Amino acid sequence: MIYVIDHKDSFTHNVVHQLSLFDKVECDDFSKINKSKLNKASTIVFSPGPGSPKDYPLSSKIYKQFKGKKRIIGICLGFQQILFCEGANIIEQNKIYHGFQSEVLVNKFSKLFDVGSKFKVGRYHSLKLQEPFNSKNFDITMRCVISGAAMSFENNVDKIYGFQFHPESFLTINGKILIKKILSA
Amino acid sequence: MIRENYLDRINNSNKPFVIYKKTKGFDLYTDFSKKIILNNRNIKEFLDTKFKIKKNYKNTDLLIGFFGYELLNNLIGIKLPKQKSINFPKGIFYKPESKISLKEDLVYKSNKASKIAKNFKININQSAYTKIFNKFKKKIKSGETYQIKICTKYKNKSKIDPLDFFCRLAKSNLAPEAFMIKDKNFSIISCSPENLITKNGLNISTKPIAGTLRKTSKINKKKALTFFRTNIKETKEHNMIVDMERNDLSRICKPGTVKLKKEKTVEEYKDLYHYVSLITGKLNKNIKNIEIIKAMMPGGSVIGCPKISTLNLLNKQEKENRNIYTGSFGYIKFNGDMKFNIIIRSILNYKDISEISVASGVVIDSNAKHEFNENFIKAKALIDLFK
Repeated sequence: MIYVIDHKDSFTHNVVHQLSLFDKVECDDFSKINKSKLNKASTIVFSPGPGSPKDYPLSSKIYKQFKGKKRIIGICLGFQQILFCEGANIIEQNKIYHGFQSEVLVNKFSKLFDVGSKFKVGRYHSLKLQEPFNSKNFDITMRCVISGAAMSFENNVDKIYGFQFHPESFLTINGKILIKKILSA
Repeated sequence: MIRENYLDRINNSNKPFVIYKKTKGFDLYTDFSKKIILNNRNIKEFLDTKFKIKKNYKNTDLLIGFFGYELLNNLIGIKLPKQKSINFPKGIFYKPESKISLKEDLVYKSNKASKIAKNFKININQSAYTKIFNKFKKKIKSGETYQIKICTKYKNKSKIDPLDFFCRLAKSNLAPEAFMIKDKNFSIISCSPENLITKNGLNISTKPIAGTLRKTSKINKKKALTFFRTNIKETKEHNMIVDMERNDLSRICKPGTVKLKKEKTVEEYKDLYHYVSLITGKLNKNIKNIEIIKAMMPGGSVIGCPKISTLNLLNKQEKENRNIYTGSFGYIKFNGDMKFNIIIRSILNYKDISEISVASGVVIDSNAKHEFNENFIKAKALIDLFK
């Protein structure tokens, strides 16, 4: 079972809908998390959402509790939430991407996706990862072709994955395949 | 079809009635056997009402009316702060006993002497608007909202003949979700172009609008499409709404059934062009209408995104109750089918005060002056009726 932690976003149910193609999915508001569902889940997903990771201490707590014990996936705010817990600074960008389709490139650090491939993704983020960023076993594996901003990471040791873009958006080409790959990794 | 003087007769009879656009022509509903005034306490019970399952339903086996903005907020757990209010009902539904089919070309000549004032007062002037606009832009930068709609209200004191207004509006601006309600102490006249819910059996669809272009002699429909396609701001704004509506449908539909049926097409109206998409899905079995309403309302395209945090920002900002504006009008049939629009482009006339509310979106690259003017373009077709 996949447990989606909803940060009151208007895209969370697109995520749920997409994940449901692969496994049973449960979804609850971040402030009303059910402990038994959390323990039962094989995968925890941190949803997109408004604001910044520091606004969601409950989600940070869950991440720290289950890191290395379950597969963890973060999307948009969820991506930032995980990196924030790993010590990253999440900062405002000069150029803001909401409803923007842009191209990303898979770099040599990726173990799951075809290195060197480019594809179009949908983005909805005001904030971004401040770099340089280093944390044990974490690699930035996709970047925006134009700005170079971090677009995904992989931690294949602890099975933690994140996308700054939205795999569930209609703007992301083959988002379903991206999700399938990290769920079977 | 009905003789031409039918509209004269119904109007002179002083019976309340409702007119709603259908694919071709209009339906008029009247002889109401029940009028349900909704509030935050009885709304759940109203939506949970179970109708008797019958073999043959009559064409009047339905409840027709509207949910106001405050009611819909409350339904999804969002409380409005204390606002200036005219104490207009939060929602009203009628049970009709007669339904009459009307032609597209409504013939009615008002014989009532009406005193119509031309001038309108706006509740937020351009400089106040710009202040709010800049505040919300900061909220976009910090990620609290991605898109937010600022509402402005035009008001005027006039005794109007609503049927006359509606017939003139239908001539100048025939919109697919147009409707009017005439009751004792209020009337609503609307040329809403936007369908929020069409539910037939397990099939559901929604048709969001995001993107408006003022018509000029130089711009035809094809040019309008090129404008929208090549305009990054309009495209981003629209994309966001499409993903949000896909999300709202995904809450109530079977996985894998939510489809973007028509992606970004242009619809033409009297004064403007709209950028429109169509999203469809297959409902989960045994889903209740209350769950559908809670998932879809208030309609996202007129609020902004993400819905909850944006509603909270709006409600904190707005000093006046939105009343019907960005609520929904439509019907619930006794067999469970529904059709609801989003109440925009509308005049609410209550105790001889008319109010017209409009809103336009703030995204990161919008411009305060442009959006303020866009609000006026949207109100113009309605304000013109007062001439």
